[in-house]
Amino acid sequence: MPRSLLIISRQSPWSGPSAREALDVVLAGGAFDLPVGLLFLDDGVFQLAAKQDARALQQKDLSANLQALPMFGVDDLFVCGDSAAERGLDPKVLSLEEAQVLSTGEITALIDRYDQVITI
Amino acid sequence: MTAVPLIESVMKFAIALFSAAHAPSSRRALLFAQAALAGGHEIVRLFFYQDGVHNVSSSVVTPQDELDVPRQWRTFVTEHQLDGVVCIAAALRRGVLNAEEAGRYQREAVAVVAPWELSGLGQLHDAVQDADRLICFGGA
Amino acid sequence: MSTLHVLSHSPFGDDRLTSCLRVIGAEDALLLSGDAAYALQPGTAPFNTLGTRGLNLFVLAEDAQARNLQTPDWAEVIDYPAFVELSIRYDKVNSWL
Repeated sequence: MPRSLLIISRQSPWSGPSAREALDVVLAGGAFDLPVGLLFLDDGVFQLAAKQDARALQQKDLSANLQALPMFGVDDLFVCGDSAAERGLDPKVLSLEEAQVLSTGEITALIDRYDQVITI
Repeated sequence: MTAVPLIESVMKFAIALFSAAHAPSSRRALLFAQAALAGGHEIVRLFFYQDGVHNVSSSVVTPQDELDVPRQWRTFVTEHQLDGVVCIAAALRRGVLNAEEAGRYQREAVAVVAPWELSGLGQLHDAVQDADRLICFGGA
Repeated sequence: MSTLHVLSHSPFGDDRLTSCLRVIGAEDALLLSGDAAYALQPGTAPFNTLGTRGLNLFVLAEDAQARNLQTPDWAEVIDYPAFVELSIRYDKVNSWL
């Protein structure tokens, strides 16, 4: 039985390569058919804000990669509701519809469920 | 704190490093790795990602009065014949190239030589599947 | 399952400690390494918070020593062999990179 891996992505998409490099770990896991999950926490929730414009910063737009996650077999997508609310984001209007909004208690349980975790 | 009896078995560790050689976390990763082997455990792989790729660079020149972490990693991996893998995408972005990639992209400097190997994130996932424990070092 | 959370950033001007304390579970442990050891600076908000949380709290000896931080009796000082042991005792390690 393969070990499950949770990636916790805490950085905004505009603070450097962290958001992309976290996503690359998830996509690689999906490509190898491994049980991986992705949680957006703290500033990581900004990756899911609507109507962002990567071109303004001459940066790669990650939204296509994010939308591709289910195609890579990654369906376990989560967002910290408190992180979103604190940052003025309506959890119901995030760019990744498949992402489940979790309370902090649910996040504790989520981390518990996975065999391994990487918090980037 | 309740003491839990330690299970006296050999544990397999995957150690991933995300910070550059001059970061304190990189030295901590090295000391942890040394302690793991000294404790009789195994290291299935050392995986270098994000800024961690700088730890394997032969171009790094550490100030004489500081700990030469890249050299220490090289010695450690060679002495114990460990598998030290560097994420190729992270390495390219940061200018840490082996001869093949330097040739491919026509870059001046070759910074990755044995015992280090450039490879993909699949190697990280492989290590996570193989190991009993994954421990990551990085940040600061 | 239980998790050993590892912090290495200063709690002042960084939100990792706050976030970690929100999600840390009752069976989990917290290791302060690097500048996260500054959370043991007496008379500070992080110190007071940790002092009342009743966590399984550890600090890396070299980091407390370098910073001249006294370890309160509700935290345990550890060396690297003990760090390895802790990573085994808990089911997994979550380093807040």
